[in-house]
Amino acid sequence: MSLIALLGATEIGLIFALVALGVLISFRILNFPDLTADGSFPLGGAVAATLIAGGHDPWLATLAGTSAGAVAGLITAWLNVRLNILQLLASILVMIALYSVNLRIMGAPNMPLIGADTVFSPFIARAPDSQYLIQPLVLAVIVVIAKLALDAFFASQSGLAMRATGANARMARAQGVATERMVLLGMAISNALIALAGALYVQTQGGADISMGIGTIVVGLAAVIIGETLIPGRTIMVATLAAVLGALVYRLFIALALNADFIGLQAQDLNLITALLVGFALVLPSLKRKFAAKRSAVTKGSTAHDAR
Amino acid sequence: MMRANGLYKTFNPGTPIENPALRGASLDIPQGQFVTVIGSNGAGKSTFLNAISGDLIVDQGTIEIAGRDVTRLNAWQRAGLVARVFQDPMAGTCEALSIEENLAIAWQRGEGRGLKGALNASLRSLFRDKLATLKLGLENRLSDRMGLLSGGQRQAVSLLMASLKPSQILLLDEHTAALDPKTAAFVLELTDQIVRENQLTAMMVTHSMRQALDHGDRTVMLHQGRVVLDVSGEERARMDVPDLLAMFERTRGEAIADDALLLG
Repeated sequence: MSLIALLGATEIGLIFALVALGVLISFRILNFPDLTADGSFPLGGAVAATLIAGGHDPWLATLAGTSAGAVAGLITAWLNVRLNILQLLASILVMIALYSVNLRIMGAPNMPLIGADTVFSPFIARAPDSQYLIQPLVLAVIVVIAKLALDAFFASQSGLAMRATGANARMARAQGVATERMVLLGMAISNALIALAGALYVQTQGGADISMGIGTIVVGLAAVIIGETLIPGRTIMVATLAAVLGALVYRLFIALALNADFIGLQAQDLNLITALLVGFALVLPSLKRKFAAKRSAVTKGSTAHDAR
Repeated sequence: MMRANGLYKTFNPGTPIENPALRGASLDIPQGQFVTVIGSNGAGKSTFLNAISGDLIVDQGTIEIAGRDVTRLNAWQRAGLVARVFQDPMAGTCEALSIEENLAIAWQRGEGRGLKGALNASLRSLFRDKLATLKLGLENRLSDRMGLLSGGQRQAVSLLMASLKPSQILLLDEHTAALDPKTAAFVLELTDQIVRENQLTAMMVTHSMRQALDHGDRTVMLHQGRVVLDVSGEERARMDVPDLLAMFERTRGEAIADDALLLG
């Protein structure tokens, strides 16, 4: 694999690290199975691309895309806590509604950004030859900031209340936590992060496309699960780190699989590889346990033998 | 001080499984009193407790706590006035969070929650001191996950959490029912100690007549969604389980007779 391919994989991995952080909040912390991601990722992209194409400041466009994602998350949460629609169903409703919304925002199925100023432009202008290096660097800074901000939030009074809401809502209410508000807030933050990823994605890929959101949630979940398998741990700091690393490892494996000519895989096999990777990550912990159990049984057997 | 007046609550109204759990339950608990509540299965004990905590909103009647009408407030809005310990040790604490994080959540009960750090050195040392009073060695395990603790330890921490901040009434929902006899005795003793030391107003629901008479200052019995028996002071002090049982049988008989009269 070439250096450029490696940096490209890292770049996408960093973008999906933001998705993974969002998925971590909804699926793991709030215990809210949320598929809004497939709509909020392209929503962030559509809003950002449309504003950038309209000549607006790329940072402002990114912020607007992020806010749009927060609103999408709020709507999903509101459908659930106020109208009592099942979590999964509420998120699917918002997801398919967003497909139309995104088409409306862009006014077309795609929106090219070739040559437009992006958040990366000022940095690339300073070193025009190293775009492949600068984009991942800028993204890495954004991901680190997001991770640290989340760590700080979840160590705060509100953040702790949000974690209690997801872990034991009845206990949280008994302790005076407004659990409904916590779900609303958490889902807004989750989808804001996912939409931020979408907004950055269109700026690295040179445009937005209506189908760019397909499978976002699977990739985010894959990253979270792979991360948990790689570095298991209960604290928030470890969990956020695991999600970020999971996204990077996931994209790296995909790139490796697609680049290894001898396997004969092509770009259209992406979803198949994803399913295999996630499946493997899911069974890995139990395999590890089995292996450890076998090994300890063997050592015990040998000591018993030695004693005789 | 807590005043429940004529509470009615019917589950699944208008269906074949309609269940009138509360039928005019009333109870006044003055400041500083420790009331034990007994009753057979389906008497409405849990419903009554959940109505006071705000987990359930009653169909009819009013609930006042410390002079404030809380009838329409939900559980988290009442949390500043009401502290509670659940029957299930899993229910009262978050097993995924650490001991100190659980205590930090309880530390903000009834107060706003902002972006300030939930834990700091002075809070940790306060928690350590409080945990040391339990004599379970938990003061050295602040960052251990709650899930690592036994049921009895978790109930003890639950009690501590409930008494960390002042409350107008402490609700104990058969909080020793899921424990083995020895642990149950320990948790009950701890309950008495915490109620006494903090001069709490408390209501303990229990299945055991022994517990109901041995703890607290007053015992009431719920039957078919109403308070049918209320003993305190001298009368209660002289009572033993058989006496209470006899009264229980008598009230049940009378209650049925009453219903028969009403129906007739």
